[in-house]
Amino acid sequence: MFTTGSKLFLGATTISVVTAVVFSASKGGPIGLLGTIGLVTAAVVFALLAGINLFVRDGNAASMEPDIQHAAAAAQPPVGRSMWPLAAAVGVGGLVVGAVSKPVVFKVAVVVVLGAVVEWMVQGWSERASADAQYNTGLRGRIMHSLEFPILATVGGAGIVYAFSRVMLTANQDAGRWIFIVIGALVLFGGFLFANRRSVSKQTVAGLCAVSALALLGVGVASALQGQRTIHPHPTVSDSDQKALCLAGGEDEVDENASQDVSLKSSVVANVYLQDDGDLVAFVNGYANVEYHEIVVPRNAQLAVIFHNDSMESQRLTGRFGSFPDKPEAVSCTTAVHPGKTAFLGFKIPKTNAASSTPLEFVVPGVDGAIIEITVP
Amino acid sequence: MKSPHLKRSFRPLVGLATVAAVLAGCAEDAPQDTFKPKGPNARTIDDLQRPLFYVAGVVGLIVFAAVGYSLLRFKDRGQEMPEQTHGKTWLEVLLTVIPALILVGVGIPTVAAVFDLDDQSNECVINVTGQQWWWEYDYSGTCGGVEITAPIVTSGELVIPAGTPVLLRITSRDVIHSYWIPALNGKRDAVPGRLHTLRLEADEPGIYTGQCTEFCGLSHARMRQAAVALSVADFQTWVDNQLEPYADNAPAVGTLAAEGEATFISQCSRCHQVNELLTADGTPVLAEPDLYVVSGSAPNLTNLMTRTAIAGWTFDLLTERCREQLWNAPPDEFGSLYLQGVWMNTAAGAAKPVCFDEATLRDWLRDPGALKPMYADPLNLDSTGGRTRGMPNLHLTEAQIDQLIAFLLERN
Repeated sequence: MFTTGSKLFLGATTISVVTAVVFSASKGGPIGLLGTIGLVTAAVVFALLAGINLFVRDGNAASMEPDIQHAAAAAQPPVGRSMWPLAAAVGVGGLVVGAVSKPVVFKVAVVVVLGAVVEWMVQGWSERASADAQYNTGLRGRIMHSLEFPILATVGGAGIVYAFSRVMLTANQDAGRWIFIVIGALVLFGGFLFANRRSVSKQTVAGLCAVSALALLGVGVASALQGQRTIHPHPTVSDSDQKALCLAGGEDEVDENASQDVSLKSSVVANVYLQDDGDLVAFVNGYANVEYHEIVVPRNAQLAVIFHNDSMESQRLTGRFGSFPDKPEAVSCTTAVHPGKTAFLGFKIPKTNAASSTPLEFVVPGVDGAIIEITVP
Repeated sequence: MKSPHLKRSFRPLVGLATVAAVLAGCAEDAPQDTFKPKGPNARTIDDLQRPLFYVAGVVGLIVFAAVGYSLLRFKDRGQEMPEQTHGKTWLEVLLTVIPALILVGVGIPTVAAVFDLDDQSNECVINVTGQQWWWEYDYSGTCGGVEITAPIVTSGELVIPAGTPVLLRITSRDVIHSYWIPALNGKRDAVPGRLHTLRLEADEPGIYTGQCTEFCGLSHARMRQAAVALSVADFQTWVDNQLEPYADNAPAVGTLAAEGEATFISQCSRCHQVNELLTADGTPVLAEPDLYVVSGSAPNLTNLMTRTAIAGWTFDLLTERCREQLWNAPPDEFGSLYLQGVWMNTAAGAAKPVCFDEATLRDWLRDPGALKPMYADPLNLDSTGGRTRGMPNLHLTEAQIDQLIAFLLERN
């Protein structure tokens, strides 16, 4: 009674209806409404297509004759076993697990289901494209290889890059340099050898590449499980509990191992120097070689300064960013910066000076007169 | 199988499309033409891009000619397969050396131009801050020898002294934008958390338009800007006017403008600042756009009527005739016209300026979202914590709009 084509569309109709019911019940608001309308529309379209297929008998006028049906390409049995039903089942399982656990599992499962369904459909179609199995295999390849190869290459490349990044984040900085140098040298040397020995078989090269990639992926997974090494940032103290620390001199610290070097050399609003004589000056981006004791910064924009400690003692730069209505004074500071070292201090001042009941300024606690006024228009 | 008739019928269409594309480059009224530099920095770029364009054009022609010749000359007509060879050393060396030499020839002036454009020497520094969907400028220090005794905050129009190297310090309050005045220099991204510099200099007084060139959301296409270059004397006048105390320009008691001041305080001042504005009890009115707008900022309206456009420099404050008059003014007359703003061509003592496009401002106040798409619908602000992107519809009455226009007309 049901033709092959109509079965496909009836199945799609059923899935659309079920999904529409589940979606509309679980998702409210405009998104839920729009999604339900889309799914119901899809169900109607699939039902219509199923009806058309039934009416025209898949466009095959002779399809009702049993002999012709059995000889037709579409009636041929599958060539071999297919892995796609299994993959689709795993994907659906992932959907269920992901729905109640982590969104990332759900998203991966969606990709698996979509991939499996597409592969399954194309395989099912191509195996019945003609009575010639070899031709059918080639036909499938012509369609799917143009998708499969780039996707697999992208996934493989991304996996290798990701694995390498995990290794570099886990290894300490000194080891990281050597890993880069050694692996780079090995790749270069290997490439040089292969280029000069044309007798090396493709299988050998492919095998070596595969083993190397697998090894890298394995080490990457192990590194990811190990977790990245401790990377000391430039701690900026802004918690109100730490306000006293920012306003006090001395070397009390929240992170003894904080980075003391700033790699960001530009794109800050000013470079602030504590000079050996205790003077605090700003070199403002845009004004070359002019020392300022007052800087003008845009209101409500995320900005930063780099603090250079050119004095003989460890010091911190503290920003007093104003006391605005109903809020305590905003204060933040760098870590204690060792002599000759630098630190980064980001800040954002939401309102103008006029709105603050306390002055806006950069200071170095414990150093008299080390002040840079901040003007916010 | 394609029909020869069909192919023939396409030829005129292809020809027409080509002619249209070529003629599009001949537009007269194209103020943002990158091939019309009006300052030394843009001229540096133009001096580089023109010869490079010619070189690239010649290379392109040679490549297309070679490909075309090969396609026609060696088309499969059933002839025998030609002799198959592998490699021709002299040809390969030649085809490597020639492009390398071309690249070196192109690279040297390019690198020189890059360093030239990166020159930080300047006589004026202006902070430029982008947000959805307008630009804010703040001035301090000195600019072209003119001392700016208190910070000036304005928007839309970057007013600069002509013939003076000006350094813009560009950043953003929300998403990435890009600042571009084609006649004066190339583009520079405005990135939150970073501060990028761009040097501008205009040869002579005039108005130079530009627009944001980094997609930044719903009204990206309506995030426009202009650089207005004035003579140093006119720039001094502009600065003096910007710093004029509010009290000198405050609405007279009992006027419609005074009612507008009260309406402004009650309806607009939570986001928009008018410097030195006081409440009835003498308390300074301080805007708090950080509480209501995603970017945390709204245009400062202290001297709104000194500008020629509003809402991201998208809608004119000048009537079309006055706008044309200003834009086409010769350099020596431009400054005096610009400084008159909407009061251009207006007789002394007149109640209203003849150049003021009141209808546009009225429409804007009535329903900003109808003129410029923005995410300011109070029913759809869940993802932004109730803060808007752009100006919401305040549902002002026509009487309130009358009052506000009277008040804003005096902000000049």
